[in-house]
Amino acid sequence: MLTPFQSAGLGRLPAHSEASTIAFHEFYGDDFRPRDHYLPMWEHIQIAGQQMLRAKTRDAHLALHSEGVTFTVYSDTDEGIERVWPFDILPRIIPASDWTHIESGIKQRILALNLFLKDLYHGQQILKDGVVPPELIYRGKDFRHEIIDIDPPHDIYTHISGVDLIRDEDGRYLVLEDNLRTPSGVSYMIENRIIERRILPEFFARYRVRRVEHYPALLLQALRHLSPRGADAAVIVVLTPGVFNSAYFEHTFLAKEMGVELAEGRDLVCRNDKVYLKTTLGLCQVDVIYRRVDDDFLDPLVFREDSALGVAGVINAWRKGHVALANAPGAGIADDKAVYAYVPEIIRYYLGEEPILDSVPTYQMTDPQDRAYVLDNLQTMVVKAVAESGGYGMLMGPSSTAIQRAEFTRRITENPRNYIAQPVIQISRHLCYLEGELESRHLDLRPFSIYGSGIEVVPGGLTRVAMTRGSLVVNSSQGGGSKDTWVLAD
Amino acid sequence: MMLSRIAESLYWMARHLERVDNTARILDINVIHMLEADDGITEAMQWTPLLAIVGMDECYADFYPDGQITVQRVIHLLTQDRHNPGCLYNSLKLARENARAVRDRISNAMWETLNQFWLTTDRHLAATLPPWRAAEFYAFVHREVATFFGLSQSTMMRSPAYGFTMLGSLQERADMTARILDVRYHLLLPDLSLVGSPLDYYQWGALLKSLSGFESYRRQYQNGIRPIDVVEFVVLEPNYPRSLSYCLEGMERAFQRIGHRPDGAVAERLYALREHLSGVAARDILDQGLHEYLDEFLVRLADFSEALQSDYFDADPGDGSGVMS
Repeated sequence: MLTPFQSAGLGRLPAHSEASTIAFHEFYGDDFRPRDHYLPMWEHIQIAGQQMLRAKTRDAHLALHSEGVTFTVYSDTDEGIERVWPFDILPRIIPASDWTHIESGIKQRILALNLFLKDLYHGQQILKDGVVPPELIYRGKDFRHEIIDIDPPHDIYTHISGVDLIRDEDGRYLVLEDNLRTPSGVSYMIENRIIERRILPEFFARYRVRRVEHYPALLLQALRHLSPRGADAAVIVVLTPGVFNSAYFEHTFLAKEMGVELAEGRDLVCRNDKVYLKTTLGLCQVDVIYRRVDDDFLDPLVFREDSALGVAGVINAWRKGHVALANAPGAGIADDKAVYAYVPEIIRYYLGEEPILDSVPTYQMTDPQDRAYVLDNLQTMVVKAVAESGGYGMLMGPSSTAIQRAEFTRRITENPRNYIAQPVIQISRHLCYLEGELESRHLDLRPFSIYGSGIEVVPGGLTRVAMTRGSLVVNSSQGGGSKDTWVLAD
Repeated sequence: MMLSRIAESLYWMARHLERVDNTARILDINVIHMLEADDGITEAMQWTPLLAIVGMDECYADFYPDGQITVQRVIHLLTQDRHNPGCLYNSLKLARENARAVRDRISNAMWETLNQFWLTTDRHLAATLPPWRAAEFYAFVHREVATFFGLSQSTMMRSPAYGFTMLGSLQERADMTARILDVRYHLLLPDLSLVGSPLDYYQWGALLKSLSGFESYRRQYQNGIRPIDVVEFVVLEPNYPRSLSYCLEGMERAFQRIGHRPDGAVAERLYALREHLSGVAARDILDQGLHEYLDEFLVRLADFSEALQSDYFDADPGDGSGVMS
């Protein structure tokens, strides 16, 4: 069974091309006037003048600098460069009705994907029923045989997810990818809001913006909910790979906000299938680990044995139910980019509902016809490695060189399961104040959801902006910036 | 509750920083003293003892096989030679790295001070520090370290974190005080019959200055500088903040803050140090031999350090004892 989007026939449909389509503009309507929900802000800018924007931008950058809101960019030459978080002061505003649609769509997806994960690691009914091809799962890098038949608390696998949304040329919200492993960015969502409120209180006065800063409290609640010894006795830690990780700032931020310990692998030890924290007063049993270490490095006894970042024995402790892990190991198979194409079917299969949010058309490189079509049209495609994130291992067709395309042709041919391709979508644009000018830039949206006693999507998210004119790549690791994201209350 | 790794980093942050200050102090005094040295005192005579104090005589011989001791070389080796793990530059680097790991446990002001201190020093020591610029640099070092510890006293909660910070600083200080006294004393006073008489004002003044105790000593003892008084002051005076007695008292107080481990050995080791210092007079110490006395103090200090490590930093009892819920 194939979904309409990845049927081989798509290859012969008229392809998306840059010339024939224009990106949706979030700020301007078709009449080149600001959309209604931006009018109060626009009026304010016109009265105050661009002088005001210049001064505010300077204030914002100073504030981020002195507070040390940074992220690390990896490079080939050394261990990483610490950069100040790039921030655009003009907020992105989402009307309440749009949000209702987004929120219900994300909840539906997370619910279905958790049922999917439970099924994959237990009876695998969905594979037996032929809805998802078994080889797609078995050959997926993030399917973990080691955890088959383990029952995580409350059957939840993805306690924290950051589903990436884009808007296509018609302004439709599409899911770009489901980040179900250790999605990052939530600290920046909150920092953006704190800065924005301090810098632009007069904008806030004109809107009813929904709050986002309770995210750490929600997260803590969800983590406590998982504790094998009950919520009140719960000892919770955030597990970080350490100071050189690109999201270390965020790990510190979350530990501080929740008031829990920030631990590295070497701070934890397993004894008798329980996990302990090494403290100055002895070993202290841990109930819940919010781990920001990838599956591969989590437990050298089960996954990569050369990992120094993990905790030997943690998977066994988890299997025995003595410790809870968020997110569950093995959750990554559900956000595998090749599995992505099947999510609409997965939703229909488990929930008997039509997907609320649409997906991006996706070509499977394991399908000979799809592959041939993609290789012939690389210049209009985005090729992505299925198990990578952060914009690494990606080919942007229109801006690629012949050498890069040849390289990807070779890689795809060698290992088709490792790649998918999608037509280039002109993702939506927004007004930004950059280097003293108002300019339009492409952006996306990552709302964060927490699956505890129910699924909650925090009203807002991280809006990432491609800082380079015309660029469609918004990843922070690839030089993207960000905006505060306002979800309106009504 | 405090992670062992965090506690260890706080301890080493403070220890390295105290060492930075001490290294600057002894170099500084020697540089000044050198300017007014008597005729016939060679560079080697001036600087050899200093290498002994910081335990780098062998290290120096490795770096400079020709054996020639010059002020420029000693300053370079102890201040900025990247290959010498114990030099001021490397100590500061380690202090800052440890602080970075515990950034959320120290105040922002402390972190910013230390970070700025490191960045400035790193820039400053990119070039060789000439002797005539050394005093200025060491004064800067003293100021920065004093600011950091001043901030730690005025901005840190009196929590276990503060306890480990103080332990690191005071242990290092006691260690250095004992070494300075030991080495200087024997160089200055080869003949024990002179113990009660006033001696070279400048030499002994330098000893006290390298312990920041000159003025306090002068106020306390009006009889010129007598070795027996110096010993009493530097070892036993409970109100002089670099004396062994003062450091130990501070360590005992800090120990109260880090929480008692019923199975631990630290309390016992602290008691052994206390025992060594109490009930003795300067005369007794000199009678049994100052070198032997200080040596025993350093041995007990090392025992304490070892116990601290195994009780608090290596919290991994294989049998599951020491597990708390």
